[in-house]
Amino acid sequence: MASKVHVVLRPVKSIVVRFCPFESNVESTRNFLGCINHKRIQATNKNCEVTADVRHDGSEPLVDVMFVDGDRLIMKGANLTTAEMLTALGTRCNAKEIKEEQKSKKKSP
Amino acid sequence: MAALRGGSGVLWRRGEGRHRGHGDRLPPGPSLPVPLSAGFLPALQLVRRGSKAVTRHWKAMHFQRQKLMAVTEYVAPRPAVPPRCLPRRKEAEVAEEDNGYVRLLQRQVEEAFRDNRMIAVCQYNAMPGEDMVLLRHYLHKHNIEVKFFLNEIVRPVLSQSKYRNLLPLFVARNILLVSRETKAKEMLRVLKGVPQINLLGACIDDTILSRQGVENFAKLPALEVVQGQAVGALSLLPSQTSSLLQRSSAHLTALLDQHIRRLQEGEGGTLAQPSPAQSPQGTH
Repeated sequence: MASKVHVVLRPVKSIVVRFCPFESNVESTRNFLGCINHKRIQATNKNCEVTADVRHDGSEPLVDVMFVDGDRLIMKGANLTTAEMLTALGTRCNAKEIKEEQKSKKKSP
Repeated sequence: MAALRGGSGVLWRRGEGRHRGHGDRLPPGPSLPVPLSAGFLPALQLVRRGSKAVTRHWKAMHFQRQKLMAVTEYVAPRPAVPPRCLPRRKEAEVAEEDNGYVRLLQRQVEEAFRDNRMIAVCQYNAMPGEDMVLLRHYLHKHNIEVKFFLNEIVRPVLSQSKYRNLLPLFVARNILLVSRETKAKEMLRVLKGVPQINLLGACIDDTILSRQGVENFAKLPALEVVQGQAVGALSLLPSQTSSLLQRSSAHLTALLDQHIRRLQEGEGGTLAQPSPAQSPQGTH
């Protein structure tokens, strides 16, 4: 179900996924990482860097998304499901895409 | 009147229960055969456009039949309390062991954990096939095998063995890199070139290590060098003790040697003329 959510990564510059695999609340974050690395979503933006930061310090799972226009989205995945994280990212990406399209339309005429 | 006109020119004929109908009253065209026994005649008989009850084409149900079917539709019985509100029963786990294939895979997992000194658990994100083949090739050069196991099979095996602390790692898609030698440096180098595989942890020589632990392990020097260093460190103290004990006697020997040399030099200077036969006696 989570793989059916299509996210367009064009406005995203980089994604850092940080988690500690020996904790018990990392399943949704790991699934999120797996879905993000799917070729369909990676194909939308080849310049987006996806980094996985594996630690062993008992910290919470974290997803840090940097956008091209300087915005930052931090998702703490301890109590979130994979689908929720993907839809949150997807809605923000879509909103930014629409803004950019409107800007380009205003500039062209 | 014996005949009635129904919709779309269908001709109906009132059944004559008691007396037989006259031949001239019947309209020309096909008609249903009239049975001899008068008591079984239906009340209304379709005479023209004789379509039977069982047809090859789809035939619309009579309206009364439609009503009957609608009224007698099946309504499933509903339990008073919906089943999802009841406490769940945990009987699903017992059924797994009966599957022979599952048992075979679990045996393979046990073998993998028993035979290999180094077992690394990595997260596997989707990778193109060629990259996978290349990765397998590079790892095979260092005698490292790539194994895929399903989490549902690995979890019960691990929970009953001594590797219980590896259980939280087996969530989401995983890949196992197993090897009989512990070449952590080469493995890390190969994995660095593949961004889609993230090392989560490893079990090397029955020691569970995190990613940082594996990196530290890779930085260690070879076993022989470490053994030599250990032997050197252990033998340092006894060698110091022995040198201390021998110091006094060695000092005395050195002093005596020097004294003898001085005496020789002194004898050699004063007795420059005597024959060389005397000098070896002096030295003894």
